[in-house]
Amino acid sequence: MNRARIFLTGVGGQGTLTATTLLARTALDAGIPVTSGEIHGMAQRGGVVESTLLLGGYKSAIIAPGEADVILGFELLETLRALPMLKRGGHVVGNSESIQPVGVCLGRECYPPLDQVLDTARGFAARVVMIPCISLAEQAGTAKAANTVLLGAAAACGALPFGVEALARSIEKYLKPKLVPVNRKALDLGAQAAQAGQAA
Amino acid sequence: MGKELLTAAAGETLLLLGNEAIARGTLEGGVRFVTCYPGTPSSEVPDTFFRMSQDAPYYFEYSVNEKVALEVGGGAALAGLPTLVTMKHVGVNVAADPLMTLAYVSAPGGLVLLSADDPGCHSSQNEQDNRIYARLGGLPCFEPATAQECKDMARDALLLSRRIENPVLLRTTTRVNHVRGPVTLGEMPQTPAEKPFAKNPPRFVPLPASARVMHERLLGILEAMQAEAETSPYNTESGSGDVGFISSGVARNYLHDVLEEDGLAGTVRVLDLGMTYPLPENRIAAFLAKCKKVMIVEELEPVLETEIRALAQKRGIAVEILGKGEHLPRRGEFSTVNVRLAVRNAMALDTPAPDTLSVPGDLPRRPPNLCAGCPHRAAYYAVREVYGDTAVYSSDIGCYTLGFLPPFQAADFLLCMGSSISTGAGFARASGKPVVAFIGDSTFFHSGITGLIDAVAYNHDILVVILDNRTTAMTGHQPNPGVDTTIFGENPNPVDLLALIRACGVEPVKVNPLNHKAMVSALTALSAKSGPRVLVAEYPCPIHAKRVGQAKKTLPARVAGDPAACLGVRDALACPAFAMVDGVFTINAEQCDGCMYCVQLSADIKPGKKEAR
Repeated sequence: MNRARIFLTGVGGQGTLTATTLLARTALDAGIPVTSGEIHGMAQRGGVVESTLLLGGYKSAIIAPGEADVILGFELLETLRALPMLKRGGHVVGNSESIQPVGVCLGRECYPPLDQVLDTARGFAARVVMIPCISLAEQAGTAKAANTVLLGAAAACGALPFGVEALARSIEKYLKPKLVPVNRKALDLGAQAAQAGQAA
Repeated sequence: MGKELLTAAAGETLLLLGNEAIARGTLEGGVRFVTCYPGTPSSEVPDTFFRMSQDAPYYFEYSVNEKVALEVGGGAALAGLPTLVTMKHVGVNVAADPLMTLAYVSAPGGLVLLSADDPGCHSSQNEQDNRIYARLGGLPCFEPATAQECKDMARDALLLSRRIENPVLLRTTTRVNHVRGPVTLGEMPQTPAEKPFAKNPPRFVPLPASARVMHERLLGILEAMQAEAETSPYNTESGSGDVGFISSGVARNYLHDVLEEDGLAGTVRVLDLGMTYPLPENRIAAFLAKCKKVMIVEELEPVLETEIRALAQKRGIAVEILGKGEHLPRRGEFSTVNVRLAVRNAMALDTPAPDTLSVPGDLPRRPPNLCAGCPHRAAYYAVREVYGDTAVYSSDIGCYTLGFLPPFQAADFLLCMGSSISTGAGFARASGKPVVAFIGDSTFFHSGITGLIDAVAYNHDILVVILDNRTTAMTGHQPNPGVDTTIFGENPNPVDLLALIRACGVEPVKVNPLNHKAMVSALTALSAKSGPRVLVAEYPCPIHAKRVGQAKKTLPARVAGDPAACLGVRDALACPAFAMVDGVFTINAEQCDGCMYCVQLSADIKPGKKEAR
């Protein structure tokens, strides 16, 4: 992979931006030119949080529809919403679990089924991997590590220009020491789940 | 990022947010005085200085508003210190009065004004283009496009400002403030040489007679700056051929990516402008003369385009100039998509239709929402219970603007920071309808207080609800003059909000908004009165309380009775901790803040231990 545009999407509070920064640092440590973009402010009050990571020498920090080589979806509905960003032949790695938006919670809107992501992307994406990130993170010790589960899955299925080991090194290097063990575990659980999913 | 920006050595490469890079850049430029009013997308610049402010080589303050920030900063620059003043684009409107005279009066110590513009209105009420302020106020202007340029231009803007003793504008846009990229650091300077203030009233006091002289001096400086722009390293030319592109700011990134990806790089000429006021006229004229056709690629207003068209006319250069139009609109943000269409159109090349997936347009939306435990939710619920749709709601700028959304719909109009009281007063006077104005504590200090003084002076019939959450929550929990606590501990000089209101001539009623009965009873009593009235709904923002270690430990709420009986409360509060699991109402214990407001509204909800997910 020489150049890649990675589109990350999730919900405020899920650690989407933390994950973006960890990926950016990992890329930089691997000698890959990186530029990354994020939007702060209103988006963080439980709204959609989108960020971007452009590797290999792009100058722009944003991604337009049809440009994303990889979509990392930290929440199911937001993964579906982001699919128009995907480039033909790109990868989708997403969380199969949901965080209800207020309209669904109030019974005014219907949450889409998991199959809708798979059905929409089939034939267009090279690969779609959906992992229960929140459950796996709880298994690792805290639901907050769901973002790391997703990163593990993405690295394990070859959607990133570096492997799980490089991410493990970044977790050791850049996260607070007390957060390292749970995130290492979350990373591995994500990687295993992606590999099991691919084998299936 | 802790104190790394102060301690990291020259030559090190750090992954920095554009705003962190600006902070480092001004440090490399020798900054000793920093003032601001926070506002997205500028806030991480002052927040970075605030976090590092203990034992730092600079003075820092979150000023009460942008006008005060620029005036305090202007005073520091007069006293000889290299100064940075930061704000968002609409904040510059608040600071416009001192700004328009600052370049006359001058800034001997050096002063950089950061204006963080927001094309696309990501978190703003408009998308004004503040490059125009550079022209209006007579400030040289720099427009970075990458994190590295944020660092370098911030440094050089401050050094330039100190050298010419006049203010300089550093103009960014959201995508530049929030880009994250590698930044190679430069040297941190020694303590800047002192520039003691020498009394010289004709130079520093713009009485009409001296102002005319000052204006002449300023125009001379701008002429000299135009000469410097001709050789500025931030204005660079590349490529060849007879089609040219001139671009500035973030649009440069999109242009270069399109040219690279479409195999056009090198076959066209590009003039990148980083120092964009005054324009390097000779350089641009020479560029125009080499081309048959030139396209100007800039977000928002046709600022460069208008000046370059005038230049071509003045110099008699016969070149076709393209700019604002179908693919390069005057509104919103650019991307590689619209820039590609513009570039390829200009070169008479076809653009293949994008190959993209489509998803249903009616997917559930995910609007931003007030957080679980937010005291504003409770305040809005109580106001709605008392006033319903009989009152007109005048809103203001802060988290509580989200009261705009259902179920509260507690925002009928809004102009700008601090406008809720005055605009509400005017509406009440003109319509005779009951008006409730909502305003936050920080916004009240910022510019709401003048509206309250007006309401008292002219006996406007308005109920002002000050949503006092003890912080500036929306922009990232910056302290304001009224706060008790900051991340560094107790506020040594808090301004007493209640005493201030009293001094304006209104006896405020203070209530904890999370106490439903007390709030409704206070509102009912106030609604029966007329004239200016103030209710202070005081309860700390739960996120802020956690950050400063003052969060109360409480149990989460849980459904203890019939879940179906809770649906009314669900619809009335729309708390993010509420969820439907397999069609049954439940409260997510992970999300619940334990504010116990829903417990007061439903006998079927009780405080209790964690429910199963």
